[in-house]
Amino acid sequence: MIAHARELAPHECCGMLAGKDGRVTHHYKIKNVVATKEEGVKALFDEAKITTLEQMTSEERADIAFWMDTKDMFAAQKDMRANSVELLASYHSHPISPARPSPTDIKALALYPDICHIIISLQDPKAPAANAFRIANGTATPVPYHIL
Amino acid sequence: MVKVRIPTPLRTLTGGKSEVEAPASDIQALIESLNGQFPGLKDRVCDDKGEIRRFVNIYLNEEDIRFLKGKHTPVKDGDEVSIVPAIAGGCEQGA
Ligand SMILES: [Zn+2]
Repeated sequence: MIAHARELAPHECCGMLAGKDGRVTHHYKIKNVVATKEEGVKALFDEAKITTLEQMTSEERADIAFWMDTKDMFAAQKDMRANSVELLASYHSHPISPARPSPTDIKALALYPDICHIIISLQDPKAPAANAFRIANGTATPVPYHIL
Repeated sequence: MVKVRIPTPLRTLTGGKSEVEAPASDIQALIESLNGQFPGLKDRVCDDKGEIRRFVNIYLNEEDIRFLKGKHTPVKDGDEVSIVPAIAGGCEQGA
């Protein structure tokens, strides 16, 4: 995941993790299509954020936000079914901000309250950080995780 | 009957089921029919005007219904419909 985040920096990267019984076995990289999702962005983000996004080029937009490509998500979910694994977590990177959910993340990711949301920060390029959260009802709760 | 794949966040409404079935002739009727079986499901998929929410994607077999006829896309027995809510977010700059 950190490699994926570095590969796409300074843009935000995103993806999904799947597995069984809380143990991740499958990793899917998903395209960040925030630049092409004008309508969706308006429905999900708050006014201030929209104004900022509107003033940016599509390249710049991908630096501060992400929107998973639904075609990629659909394909990933199909693969999960074929392998009898479940969606366990989403992840995305914060190229220049800390590894904690932003207000937009807390609003937008609340659509998926039952999975973990991992945020990777490249703020310190020598020491990338990753934290996992559960996001529901406007709050984010840190979740412990183990790297196997 | 149309087979409907329910995403993780909506399974609380379907008693944990990831696949359900409903009779319908188009997507709109399908949503109504699902809402009859699983009350509250329509609210999660449609806005108060009955339009499909922008951050909810619906696939008929392999196609996004936005590129077909939207909620008026016809469905038939044996079709597979998938509901895929968006995963999106942003960082703290300007948020
Ligand atoms: Zn974020």
